[in-house]
Amino acid sequence: MKKKLLSALLCASLVATMAVGCSGGSSESSSDSGNDTKQEADSGSDEGGKTYAIVTKSAGNPFNEKTAEGFQEVIEAQGGTAIVKHPEAATADAQVSVIQSLISQGVDSICIAANDENALQAALEEAMAAGIKVCCEDSKTNPDSRQVFVNQAGITEIGQSLMDAVLDISGGEGQWAILSATSQAANQNAWIDSMKEIMESDDKYSKLELVEVAYGDDEPQKSTDQTQALLAKYPDLKVICAPTTVGINAAAKVLQDEKSSVKLTGLGLPSEMAEYIGDDDAHSCPYMYLWNPIDLGRLGAYTSIALVDGTITGAEGDKFTAGDMGDYEIVKADDGGTEMILGAPFKFDASNIDEWKDVY
Amino acid sequence: MAGKSGRTIANVPEKSLKKTLLCWEGMLVVLFILINIFCKSISPSYQFVNVLREMPKYLTEMFLLFPMAYILVLGEIDISVGSTVCLAATMTCMASNNGMPFGMVVLVAILVGTVCGLLNGLILTNFQELPPMIVTLGTQIVFRGIAEIALGSGGSISLTNADGFRMIAGKIGIIPYIFFLVIILAVLFSVVLAKTTFGRSVYAIGSNRLAAYYSGIHVQKIRLIIYTVMGFMAGLAALFLTSVLYGANTTTGNGFEMDAIAMAVFGGISTSGGKGRLLGGIISGFTIICLRIGLGQINMNPQLILIILGILLILAVLLPNVSSKLKIRKKAV
Repeated sequence: MKKKLLSALLCASLVATMAVGCSGGSSESSSDSGNDTKQEADSGSDEGGKTYAIVTKSAGNPFNEKTAEGFQEVIEAQGGTAIVKHPEAATADAQVSVIQSLISQGVDSICIAANDENALQAALEEAMAAGIKVCCEDSKTNPDSRQVFVNQAGITEIGQSLMDAVLDISGGEGQWAILSATSQAANQNAWIDSMKEIMESDDKYSKLELVEVAYGDDEPQKSTDQTQALLAKYPDLKVICAPTTVGINAAAKVLQDEKSSVKLTGLGLPSEMAEYIGDDDAHSCPYMYLWNPIDLGRLGAYTSIALVDGTITGAEGDKFTAGDMGDYEIVKADDGGTEMILGAPFKFDASNIDEWKDVY
Repeated sequence: MAGKSGRTIANVPEKSLKKTLLCWEGMLVVLFILINIFCKSISPSYQFVNVLREMPKYLTEMFLLFPMAYILVLGEIDISVGSTVCLAATMTCMASNNGMPFGMVVLVAILVGTVCGLLNGLILTNFQELPPMIVTLGTQIVFRGIAEIALGSGGSISLTNADGFRMIAGKIGIIPYIFFLVIILAVLFSVVLAKTTFGRSVYAIGSNRLAAYYSGIHVQKIRLIIYTVMGFMAGLAALFLTSVLYGANTTTGNGFEMDAIAMAVFGGISTSGGKGRLLGGIISGFTIICLRIGLGQINMNPQLILIILGILLILAVLLPNVSSKLKIRKKAV
């Protein structure tokens, strides 16, 4: 009996501490995390004291890390506080927890590279309802979950660049394969679809045969395994196109180590790819593309600031000046939401890789 | 009472204040309190309102903890539940998108989960020599495989009509419905395990299956029931997870089984069976959730949080071993 009483007491104390421990500050909290006060505060144009968060796809994604660096640089130069948050794993589920935590902290804006287009909707809607401004960069969410998307490059521009690279490197014919990230990544799927469309639309691509789209989940080991599987499955393979920084790096290493005749192109980070880029047989990648992730982060930061101070609302036709990056206009996106486009992808080859490899 | 030999044998184990406080659950309560004070001190946003708001997603894993505790007490393991959640969530979204009324959608979630659990149970009870870890590893791959086929090339599905899900994600005041449900289920599962014949049978099977069998316990029937309930709860978890995620994808529910096992083991439930109480698992579950929320709010590197949880887990299983070793040494001296 005594024991029962004690366990009941323990349970009661458990609940009590939770209430006391947590609610001690709730009175003070209502003043800084309440919805109404936040919206009021937003109307003030002073950037000082505001907190801007950026959420990456996963920790250790070099592209996202560079984006976060650019984001941080601009926010801090403007006198704000930047929070860089990495989810526990490269999944939408993990990003939901991160967003929830940011809502608790009462940040002013969230700029996110989404791991899934739709799965973040409930969390991001809750964030927007709490007065937090939401924009996406790198990989977008659906229109309902964002105010504006900072697009690194138009989908067709990228699809065209990559398709022409495949055509050029393969010599105009033969088998080629795609090594992608996760099968749900919206940006990857959009580029792959665009490449497929371009391939069908013009006769000059008719001798190219896309044999497989492999998914390396943006993990180095899995990407390596997938590359080796592609080599084993398709002995006549000529080109692998990896539109992901993790995938292209893993594939480049496999191809170069195995002295394979298969060539590589795609989207990669110059600093990671420098040792693989070259025109001769000793190098696995003749050339590749990428935009500047630092600039993407900086534009994300300027966009966040503009959303928070009310210069833009994310509606089509809104215009703003992104510091020294020039003027940007918000346009309609394919998915019915709005976006702004950073610029066309940039080509890295043997002639310019040395000057870029130290940059990012 | 005095036996024939004149010895006095206590028919109930000795109970005292000291013993209750020093038992594993007592220490967990202290740890829970300490962790809440710690989180409060490091994060100004660690408040009742915020903790409760962040909790629903983590609470879905608690659904899996309850039956998992039973399975661990049996001395077995089920690592397929994460995939069951994925499959059930996928089917739930599909049912909802096909325009089924929400009541039917709930039924689909629970039915898919229950069928998965029943399948595990049928395999394990009909082929008793198979190790549960291998069988459930197999079904883990199978269930996720089916979900991936159903999800198609996009690998993700989202709700076109989330009304029903918005409803179950609702709150009374600041407390989400799921919190009440978890508490009710926690009491139910704890009482059944600790106070009923069924619960005693589970411990008996976990301590010595053969002895339990010869003393007339329906070992296979109980195993089948528990695995089926595991599936049922996975279906329930999927339903509530969908209300947080508004959809499902190929990574939904990844690692849930391990989180549930970690909560149970941290709560003092032995993986070799026959030992531990669900109460411990429940307190440790809340402790882990609070720690994750608190550390998340100070924007600690998530990998670091995982490392901390891993170390805590190892310490949790190490401590009883070390203390029992010390006791043995003392007796020897």
